[in-house]
Amino acid sequence: MTNFIDYLLGGFSNGAVIALMALALVLVWRSTRMVNFAQVGQAMFTTYIALTVQQSTGNWVLALVVALLAGSILGVVVFFLVIRPVKNSDTTGAIIATFGVLIALQAGAGMIWGGDPEGFVPPVDNAGLEIGGRIWPVSLYDLLVLAVTAVLVIGLTLLFTKTSLGLSMRASAFNPEVARLSGVRVNRMLITGWAIAGATGAIGGVLIAPFSTISPNSFDILLVFAFTAAVIGGLDSLIGAVTFGIGTGLVISLVSGYSDSGNAPIVALVLLALNLLLKPDGVFGHHGSRSV
Amino acid sequence: MLETVDLCVSYGAVKALNGMNLVVPRGEVTAVIGANGAGKSTLMRTLAGLVSPQSGQVLFDGASIAGTKPEDIVRNGLALVPEGRSTIPELTVEENLRLGGLWRSKSDRGASRDIVFDLFPILNERSTMRADTLSGGERQQLAIGRALMSDPKCLLLDEPSLGLAPLIVTQILELVSRLARETNLAVLLVEQNAVTALRVATTGVVLNLGEVVKSGPAAEISSDEELRHAYLGY
Amino acid sequence: MSKVEGVSKVESVSKVKGLQTFPGNRIIWHALIVGVVWLLLLLLNNNIDPLYSSYLALIAMYATAMFGMTILVGLSGQVSLGNGALMAVGGYVFALTSMNWETVPIFGWQWNAIWSMVFAGLGGVLVGGVVGGLAARLKGPYLAGLTLGLAVGVPAITNRFPELLGGENGLMLTVPYPDGGYAAAGAAASLDPGAEGELESTTDPGGDQNGELATDDQFAELDLSEFDQETDPDAGLATEDLLTEEDFGSGDQLADGDLLTEEDFGSGDQLGLDGTDIGTDIGTDAGTDIGADLNVDSDSLLDGFDSGFIIERWQASMAIAVACIVAFAALNLVRGRQGRVWKAVRDDPIAAAVVGISPSGSKVSAFVVSSLFAALAGAVFAQILSFIGPGAFGLGLSLSLLVGIVLGGRASLLGAILGAILLVWLPELVDGLAGERGWPEQITNNAPNLLYGLLVVAVVLAAPGGVTGTIRSWVDKARGKARSPLS
Repeated sequence: MTNFIDYLLGGFSNGAVIALMALALVLVWRSTRMVNFAQVGQAMFTTYIALTVQQSTGNWVLALVVALLAGSILGVVVFFLVIRPVKNSDTTGAIIATFGVLIALQAGAGMIWGGDPEGFVPPVDNAGLEIGGRIWPVSLYDLLVLAVTAVLVIGLTLLFTKTSLGLSMRASAFNPEVARLSGVRVNRMLITGWAIAGATGAIGGVLIAPFSTISPNSFDILLVFAFTAAVIGGLDSLIGAVTFGIGTGLVISLVSGYSDSGNAPIVALVLLALNLLLKPDGVFGHHGSRSV
Repeated sequence: MLETVDLCVSYGAVKALNGMNLVVPRGEVTAVIGANGAGKSTLMRTLAGLVSPQSGQVLFDGASIAGTKPEDIVRNGLALVPEGRSTIPELTVEENLRLGGLWRSKSDRGASRDIVFDLFPILNERSTMRADTLSGGERQQLAIGRALMSDPKCLLLDEPSLGLAPLIVTQILELVSRLARETNLAVLLVEQNAVTALRVATTGVVLNLGEVVKSGPAAEISSDEELRHAYLGY
Repeated sequence: MSKVEGVSKVESVSKVKGLQTFPGNRIIWHALIVGVVWLLLLLLNNNIDPLYSSYLALIAMYATAMFGMTILVGLSGQVSLGNGALMAVGGYVFALTSMNWETVPIFGWQWNAIWSMVFAGLGGVLVGGVVGGLAARLKGPYLAGLTLGLAVGVPAITNRFPELLGGENGLMLTVPYPDGGYAAAGAAASLDPGAEGELESTTDPGGDQNGELATDDQFAELDLSEFDQETDPDAGLATEDLLTEEDFGSGDQLADGDLLTEEDFGSGDQLGLDGTDIGTDIGTDAGTDIGADLNVDSDSLLDGFDSGFIIERWQASMAIAVACIVAFAALNLVRGRQGRVWKAVRDDPIAAAVVGISPSGSKVSAFVVSSLFAALAGAVFAQILSFIGPGAFGLGLSLSLLVGIVLGGRASLLGAILGAILLVWLPELVDGLAGERGWPEQITNNAPNLLYGLLVVAVVLAAPGGVTGTIRSWVDKARGKARSPLS
């Protein structure tokens, strides 16, 4: 039983990062009805930037902020690259374009920083905390990750439900024409959505970096997990992304604990397949994902 | 207030509007009527900026607005209530209304909201409920209310009667007509249902195949039997 | 004109315009085209440097897989990243079946290889059917995401059964080469025609240990005429000398156990380019051993291998064979009724359903066909590498396949071939440039991918039909027709 609890606890911070990535995917889906498969590539790239900042200044917070900004800018850039085919209703082309961006980002990162795995030093201790005479699988850093994620999620929720900007963005996502007729500058809202998504992904990338090493391809598996979580939660739903992001993290932790960590992608694949088979709109979603 | 001069709009090879001339004065309801495919919706969408004309002019308050983006046209005081239930079902009534005037100050919005609630009290009652819980007629009121939140000088209504019971339509249109008179609002109403439209309108414009066939006082149009037979189907 | 004349006129016009009115005609036409291309490729293969043959082999292998992508992504409109995983399936099935069977040569061809290919294909069909069945219900991004999971997840399965599937390190294959039975993989790969006169110690196709040559080594028919070109028949050996029996003076005889050392030749004499002794036997007959350190011109050495067996050429001809067969099948499908069905469902599934075509059925069939092609390509890949492991079949491979068809032309088989050529040629080009200009490895390793990524985005934005689609639209414009570049 203690094993179970340990695995569960250990999975929370991982789940938080997956939740952030899933959130980024959902943000993009809500604003432009497309899945940005390059999202993790962007996060990888900005994490490298953060690494460089941290290595030269030793300041983690600064690195995080720089990553955040870089993530927003990169998000907007990618938006402009892939949005045109969508406008011309070439949805297949849009998907392909996001993969093109992913490939380019991975290659670019390899060129700039090299392919060798790099370590990222966490700002606070990453060792298990000792509470009540026992070493728990939760460290100070894990708590920091959870805290940052919570702040981000709460912030985004407030943004969307309470502010005019949030209302404009939601309206632009639900019905761009009516939004325009109401005076909303819809294009700007789309760009804002991608910028926020890029920033969210960037933060997720910086947070997860200390857990292992980063290399241009190290985030690939994260894409699968994040996509799985986002789809299960319903691509429309921010709550779903967060809930199932954390859930996926917990499941992976359990799987890795009880069997081999290499099984995790297989489990994710099976979950994804089951979900798409049984409830393609996701648990909280309502828009059609099935074809005719 | 709103004027078109020789307006031509085509979709590819199809001419939807062919040299249309129209005047929409303030303080009254002008009804554009005609059969399906006559070009009515095209007219509305062009006026609102969703479609660009091939040639001709659209003058709003004396200034040309052809080619201006819809979000800017609305901010200048020309609001369209598009065809169909143009509310956003996932948002609440209050959010739908607020959406209509987001760029305005809170106090301005408050004043407009009071007008809307005064006109359509049911919206006040249901203000925290999601829009998809409203009935068809209520949603139409919400759509109009949202347009009014932009404090328009000219209101465009595209086929408000679609899918609604005639009594409700008449009620709504009479409210709008009253609003037009009381606040000096210019209202352009486009309708397939000519009877209801002509009942509330001051002026009637009959459209056929993108061209104006006849325009004049509403009473005159509705009593012209030949015209009705030929173009309005009754 | 009479009825007979009219009919034959129609036929001849149809043939000229490529509009085949009868399916039989079309199939024959396709067979002709593929046959001619096959012949030309074989001719090419036999007359180019074996290094280029290895490129040809890779191109053919990629093309095989990409024909499947053309059908799946181009014609059927399903963006799938799973074909890399399906290549893995084919490769592993091939490896597992061929590793455990005895060689059964028939007509000089290893019968098992064909069976292993068949099983690989079946494996592909099976997995493709399952995945396709699930995928048929999904639209755009959901499909892409699921197949993405496949691409990342399938290689992980190899770790699940490490004893059977070899885990991270994969499985070594014994490739059923045509002559001389099974040969160890490494031997084949390291026969490097560019090497300066040295046979590396591991290159011993005769199967010896230590790489030394022994009397039973199978070098058929050494062209010993080369060895008559000594420059100094009396004075012993100089660096350019090639040995003949005369060089050894009367009385000296070499028997099979002899080892020549420098003493045998008198002081000052040296052998070989760098003065190293001949360390192995020299036999007196043609067709027997040569010393590994002999300074011989390696090209001529290889020319002497008249077994007709140069590893790269064999790989290429095998890959070309598979590619041509698959191309024939693909051609018939793409330019036949099935191709039109796929396109119809892609463009308007509702309309297709109304006409009686099952949209999901057509999607599954596209998946199955492309999986079959991918599996066969994977089997070919395994034979080229003589190895199969999860590393080669990851997400990168699937993305490469996608890149290839997008750049070449999504819905065009010719585009698939162009894409394959690009995928093989561009990295070589970059390496060459890097050599000239001294670019660091970091840059050269990633430059092709960076280019691919940017080109893919550029193509999608500006020229969605890829190379072939763009050319086709130019041609159409010149003819005054209008057609979507994606059709």
